[in-house]
Amino acid sequence: MIAEKRSRLLSEMKSGETGLVVAVAGGKKATKRLADLGLTPGSLVRVVRKTLFSGPIHIEVCGSKFAIGRGLAQKIIMDFNA
Amino acid sequence: MPENNHITIVLAGQGNAGKSSLFNNLTGLHQHIGNWAGKTIEKREGTLFYKDYTIDVLDLPGIYSLTTYSVEEVISREYITHHHPDCVINVVDSTNLERSLIFTLQLLELECPLVLALNMRDLAKNRGINIEYNKLQGLLNTPVIPTVASRGYGITDLIDEILKIKGNRSSHAVHRYGKEIEDCIGQLTSLIQINEFAYPARWIAIKLLEKDKDITKLVGDQKPEILGKTKELSDHLEEMHGHDSSLVIADERSHLAYQLTREIETILPNRITSLNDRLDAITMDRISGYIVMVLIMGGMFFTVFTFGNWLSGLFDTMFAQFHDWWNNAVGVSSLASLGWAAIESVLALVQIAFPYILPFYIMLYVLEDWGYIARISFLMDHLMHKMGIHGKACISFIIGLGCNVPGCLSCRIMESRRERFITAVLVTLVPCSAVSVIVFGLVGKYVGLLWALGLYVFAMILIFLVGRISSKLLLGEPVELIMPMPDYKAPQLKSVFSQTWDSLKEFIYIAAPVVIVSGILIRAIDLAGWMSAISSFLSPVTVNWLGLPAVTGILLIFGILRKELILVMLAAYLGTTHFADVLSPQQMITLAVVSMFYVPCVATISVLWNEYGWKKTLIVCALEIFFAIALAGLVKRLLDFFYSAG
Ligand SMILES: Nc1nc2c(ncn2[C@@H]2O[C@H](COP(=O)(O)OP(=O)(O)OP(=O)(O)O)[C@@H](O)[C@H]2O)c(=O)[nH]1
Ligand SMILES: [Mg+2]
Repeated sequence: MIAEKRSRLLSEMKSGETGLVVAVAGGKKATKRLADLGLTPGSLVRVVRKTLFSGPIHIEVCGSKFAIGRGLAQKIIMDFNA
Repeated sequence: MPENNHITIVLAGQGNAGKSSLFNNLTGLHQHIGNWAGKTIEKREGTLFYKDYTIDVLDLPGIYSLTTYSVEEVISREYITHHHPDCVINVVDSTNLERSLIFTLQLLELECPLVLALNMRDLAKNRGINIEYNKLQGLLNTPVIPTVASRGYGITDLIDEILKIKGNRSSHAVHRYGKEIEDCIGQLTSLIQINEFAYPARWIAIKLLEKDKDITKLVGDQKPEILGKTKELSDHLEEMHGHDSSLVIADERSHLAYQLTREIETILPNRITSLNDRLDAITMDRISGYIVMVLIMGGMFFTVFTFGNWLSGLFDTMFAQFHDWWNNAVGVSSLASLGWAAIESVLALVQIAFPYILPFYIMLYVLEDWGYIARISFLMDHLMHKMGIHGKACISFIIGLGCNVPGCLSCRIMESRRERFITAVLVTLVPCSAVSVIVFGLVGKYVGLLWALGLYVFAMILIFLVGRISSKLLLGEPVELIMPMPDYKAPQLKSVFSQTWDSLKEFIYIAAPVVIVSGILIRAIDLAGWMSAISSFLSPVTVNWLGLPAVTGILLIFGILRKELILVMLAAYLGTTHFADVLSPQQMITLAVVSMFYVPCVATISVLWNEYGWKKTLIVCALEIFFAIALAGLVKRLLDFFYSAG
């Protein structure tokens, strides 16, 4: 059976969840920066932790960790098995 | 042409990979080192003599890509491509191998002579990361040397390797993309003659597809017809993949890096990684993270305060006899008085400033090298957004706590000009170690530690308010935080102490002469009988509005040179460091408030001037002088009210 697939924003994922990036809808520069760090459509992202309110999100991509602002995380569309 | 035994090498790699550590080890120079990405902001040259060779070494800012978007990337790419170094050393962080290889692949595309330094081998080992160096070397057909830059391990192997390949154009493997991309690259390269541009044809083709601005312009100027073909091909790629052609290439590159990594790297579960994760679970947590932050910063200030008080008390008793000795030895005359002024100023500098500045720097460098600063940025990002900037600004603030000059320079880590400027202005309001001398040595010591800490809280609130206002005034798109989070590292005591020593040396070489000259000058003014004239000129502000002794007017003028001068000169002028004898608690607090904010010191002003032009600098200075004086006067009135009521 095909697992039921849903798409969500990176900002909506919970700590510890992993998902596949479908698209990055941020500005050109931010998209480029993320791509340089290995976050491109098609890469796997794990959410390490989130902060209170609308603080940044701690993520792991390509075996390295980054912090990205919540506003940017709202522009990263993920595809993952719920 | 360079002689045969004279070679140039360039250190290139991602942020925080250990380039500057390697540079320091090779050249004996002292580049700033710390555990966060973006410390090196300007290229720096040094020289190494090895065997019969003279080797020029160049340290570059960390970059993540050779497609130019940011200033650092332009600087670094130009050096690698235009200056034809005999060898590029790609410094790779072994603990972040996959991410690092994304950049390595780009360097390989450039087809320059390349050696890989797989740095932080010690950390990789501790974390159970096993890398097959020989296999990587075989796969890339490029020398791969494991190194530990901070301790010099592997450095001679590295240089020997460089000497072997110097001059020879490298023949390393060129990785292949997927068929569609290779098709496009092939079609473009067939339009470019081999030596037409300063770059390899294949590289030009890739950059065209990646829409690199500089390369597109370069090609457009010489062969505009290629651009049409490029457009057609990248549109084709975009149609097939559904996103920008530059992303299609970036995606394949990171996939290649992934495959390479899988082939050469194995990771065993281990204690260190889980220790780092557990530390992060406490220090980055949404609740305990903030508690730990307050404890760490509070603990730091408390230590500076107690250690500083203890040491300055010790110096106090040591120096107590000096004046009598001087009078007995030299006698009493105006010349002797001027001589004593010089000595006394230096003594006051040693006694007042040194005890606080020393522990301050040690602790700041420990925090930096440990990796905590990136955590503060993470925790504070949300709050920083309210000031129109983002979390990385905290890095500049914390560096500014040591000294505003590197603090302002480090604002280059901010991505847009607007953010850089806002951050730099806010850094000038951060109490640097010289101001801390006044806060702790005066208010902390004679009014109370809580008052001193209160002043820091006050400064933070003020910075927040100014940030909010300036973000409203300077319109612009807010930029989002994107920041690599380094793992915690055991601070390298060697580099902590050598950096502390560098800062102190600077303090001695620059502060001491200024202090001596100012000390003599003030005494001369006093002896000539002009003191009261100058002081009374400023007294409407100092005496009437701020309620301070008239002499502070002249001290505040000297304080523009260096802020610690305010207190040092006051001690030298009064002939005592027992400030409680001459100043009331309200006066101490008022003086501290003025000193904290009234104007950036000369060195900071010159940095602002360089980075943002004279207009903005003058506006900032004028506003700060005005507001600091207004604010301190209000504080004085509040305190008076408070004291008379209580
Ligand atoms: N354990 C260990 N630590 C290292 C090694 N090399 C560098 N470091 C540490 O790694 C951190 C970063 O080193 P830097 O030399 O400042 O890195 P950089 O590449 O110049 O960084 P940027 O200038 O910010 O791009 C510092 O805390 C160093 O002490 C190493 O081989 N082993
Ligand atoms: Mg560096």
